[in-house]
Amino acid sequence: MGDRMSSTRRRGVRASWLGVVVTVAVGSGLGSGGPVAKAHAATTTLALAATDGYITVPGRETDPLYVFGFIPVDPAASPSQLIATYKGHAQHTAPIIDVKQNDDIKITLTNLGLVQRPDLTDSHTIHWHGFDLPSPLNDGVPEVSVAVPIGKQLTYFYRPHREGTYMYHCHFEDVEHVQMGMVSIVLVRPLQDGTAMNVGGRTFTKFAYNDGDGSTGYDRHFAILLNEVWSGFHDGDRDIQESIPTDYAPQWFTLNGRTYPDTVKPHDDATTSSGITTVNPNYGTSDKSQPISSLVQANPGERILLRLANLGYQQHAMQLPGIPMHVIGQDASLLRNGSVDTSYWTNTLYIGPGEARDVLFDAPPYDPLAPSGSDGRGTYNVYYFKNRDWRRLSNGGAPGPGGMMTEVRVYRDTLPAQTAVSQIHS
Amino acid sequence: MTQRTRRLGLVVALAAGSPLLGAGRGHALPPGAPKIGMVCTPGAVTGTTHTFNLVTMAGHISTPDGNDVLMWSYANADPPDDGAFQFPGPVLCVTQGETVVVNLRNTLPEPSSIVFPGQEGVSSIGGSPGLLASEAAPNGTVAYTFAASSPGTYVYESGSNIAKQLEMGLHGALVVRPSLGANYAYDATTQFDPSREYLNLVSELDPDLHHAVETGATYDFTKLRNRYFTVNGRAFPDTIQDNGSALLPSQPYGALVRIQPNDAGTNPLPALIRMINAGALNHPYHPHGNHLRQIAQDGRLLRDPAGTSSASTERFGETIGSGQTQDYLLRWDDQDHWNPNGPPVQRLLPQPNYRSLVFKNGVTWYGGNPYLGYKGTLPTGTASLNVCGEWYFPWHSHALNEFTNFDEGFGGMATLLRVDPPGGCFTFPTSTRILVGTLNGGTVANLGLDDAKYYKVNSATTGNPRVTDWYGQFSGVPAGAANLAVTYEGNDSLGATPQTLFIWAWTANAWDQISFVPNVGTTDLTVTSATIASPASYIGRGANNGLVRVRVLTTHTGTASFVTSGDLMKLVYDAP
Repeated sequence: MGDRMSSTRRRGVRASWLGVVVTVAVGSGLGSGGPVAKAHAATTTLALAATDGYITVPGRETDPLYVFGFIPVDPAASPSQLIATYKGHAQHTAPIIDVKQNDDIKITLTNLGLVQRPDLTDSHTIHWHGFDLPSPLNDGVPEVSVAVPIGKQLTYFYRPHREGTYMYHCHFEDVEHVQMGMVSIVLVRPLQDGTAMNVGGRTFTKFAYNDGDGSTGYDRHFAILLNEVWSGFHDGDRDIQESIPTDYAPQWFTLNGRTYPDTVKPHDDATTSSGITTVNPNYGTSDKSQPISSLVQANPGERILLRLANLGYQQHAMQLPGIPMHVIGQDASLLRNGSVDTSYWTNTLYIGPGEARDVLFDAPPYDPLAPSGSDGRGTYNVYYFKNRDWRRLSNGGAPGPGGMMTEVRVYRDTLPAQTAVSQIHS
Repeated sequence: MTQRTRRLGLVVALAAGSPLLGAGRGHALPPGAPKIGMVCTPGAVTGTTHTFNLVTMAGHISTPDGNDVLMWSYANADPPDDGAFQFPGPVLCVTQGETVVVNLRNTLPEPSSIVFPGQEGVSSIGGSPGLLASEAAPNGTVAYTFAASSPGTYVYESGSNIAKQLEMGLHGALVVRPSLGANYAYDATTQFDPSREYLNLVSELDPDLHHAVETGATYDFTKLRNRYFTVNGRAFPDTIQDNGSALLPSQPYGALVRIQPNDAGTNPLPALIRMINAGALNHPYHPHGNHLRQIAQDGRLLRDPAGTSSASTERFGETIGSGQTQDYLLRWDDQDHWNPNGPPVQRLLPQPNYRSLVFKNGVTWYGGNPYLGYKGTLPTGTASLNVCGEWYFPWHSHALNEFTNFDEGFGGMATLLRVDPPGGCFTFPTSTRILVGTLNGGTVANLGLDDAKYYKVNSATTGNPRVTDWYGQFSGVPAGAANLAVTYEGNDSLGATPQTLFIWAWTANAWDQISFVPNVGTTDLTVTSATIASPASYIGRGANNGLVRVRVLTTHTGTASFVTSGDLMKLVYDAP
């Protein structure tokens, strides 16, 4: 058991990107593939460390924003090893967790403490938002279970029976810790993954849900977390000043922790760099603390799945002008009731705080006369996935476009296949 | 000197006569109202006419951070309330097909009224025409009549000077039950467990606005900044107190939701959650622990275009718009069957070292054991509010600035879901005592599980008949427990042996018989007593706090000795 687990973990680490996604590589679980229930579910072992750090938002380049965050780490490392390596180097947003339906998931959380605030002895937890029927011990709400103090660890256990898109965040003083940045997306792949299904002449092997008919099949999927940034909490926590949460008035609006145009820069991982760095005032080092891109890439005719979640405190209406959006799932539920199709098409997607949406769209044919650009993969048509509220396309009040916006680039030339969620090719 | 004394005397007289300053009397609830769950104000029914008498009142509510806020609300003029101030207004429950009459008397310093969103053909008598409805002048009256033609959850609220009066709190819930039956929300597909009907009416308030009304100051609506957020008129943690709690005399409605796991045989029906947003803002509500199935919105079932099939959807977060209502069904389906005594696949919940973990503020609703229905050991100094290993999950606004009381987190627009073990709390004896006979083998722990391990007692070795007489003692049973039942499983070595079970009545100082079986044989027989609805006399107090004793008396005519073997002794009850 030990050997099998460690080899699985090694493969998982190789296939995942530093800081972007933590997962078991697709197909490495025992008996995966096909909708038939497996006799033995795989065990996925992940680990996160909680600490503080800094990020940059436009207008605060010389005065970085103080954050709390989760960092993906080696499950075998001890708390003292983790503290020595990672304390004070949080990332925002936290890594995307990608797991398989019915597998046993273990996530070890280690609290490293806060470098900037040695006086603040806050504990941390993991709350898998939307998870069905956890024992409270695994739900991460301190007042009705436990919290992890500085220097200690707790291994959370989940067996996700419902596929779909969720989110996770710290629930210790969550009014503060969520806004401080301990947030990300967790997705559960359906048992149906790996089965070939034909839909309208196209064959899919990856699906958002166990739809039985391939109707939620996709070619590429991207996880995007909506959030806002209010400097009140961040500066207050840095400077030991009290903030009143009901004064909430955010000035920046983010996707995966970045504002546009940073949202379209690459991931920070083993092979690519976003160019976004923040000088960490506690260390003087340059931290790549906003590693997750929100760029969406597609080839014409491909079906794209957007896994969206909102962990801000405000309601958002998102548009993708030029491409109709098919909402096929919400809150980790297939929008279908028996034989009644409750999915809907829209041009403006409403998503409230704490909610998740699964959106499919088909990338239009390439048109050289439509708005275009070019990058390392060649020439592309550009569409904007953006907040309808123009005030949220502003960075700290500056004229836009900025804020909660990213690009869908439909490339003329064929892209390599996508092998992991949110994977983009430079 | 004389003047001072006189003034002092007046002050003392006022204090003595003022009921508001008296200790602990909660808002009166209608007879039969549950302590947890939606409370219906009955009104008066004559034939098919259902009449309510409401009066607008001013009063104060309290917030968990020690603030008092002036509110305007509707009160029930009928007994037992007799116009006592409450926020929100009374829950008016009617049946589809009734003609509803609402008589309103207005004691506010400005005209007021009621509108009934979702009801059609509302007519009024008396009052003077207002913008949205006929209004009652200060000290005046108006009466409204409408036919409750559509089942569902609705809100009623002021139609006068709405920017001020809705903010001040003039709203309440209107529930129309379908003619099909009170245990249906709409139609035959929406049957629910009538003992699990919950109202979650959310709103928000800016105390500065209320203070301006209280002092007659001006208020700039563009500067609205909400500081308190309520469910059923209370802010968390007040939301989990019982209905009619004496701690909250002007806020009679709790918002705690209680369910037990779904079971096809014993607990097949879901709970019904009626949500209303009476505030000016939309609110995103997030239930921890499980999805809720949304079946209706604004008093209309979610259906396919043909109108024949359900288009209900499941949510773990749903925004309820200002003025909207939503109905949800909640089931708790235990798919994993976590069981500390089950096979290894059911025993995978981690058992961490609690001394390496933190219990926030030294207080927790957790019982120290991740399995439902079991408690564990918490570190010394940790206060636990857990009764018998039940689970708690918060339900709260995910605009987390609303999950606060002004500046303190874990407050505001929130309540708890309490998941009780299936069948209620259960417990096993912690000690035994043999009255007649001797110990053959086993310990009290063997009574805790239906397995091959027994607590065995030898009968007396002399006399006719031969007897074994022993009792198991349970500890930690809460005062206020209800619906107590005893289960005993055991056998007798001789076979065909009469067995009587008793429970100790503390104040009467006597054993009350709860079961008699004439022929207990050599194979295990399980006996469950009738449920004792009010078992207070069987739960010890003072020095015997929380103790319950169940006695097993086995008598065999003749001179053959025998052995009584107890496999399982279990107490089941509903915790308060």
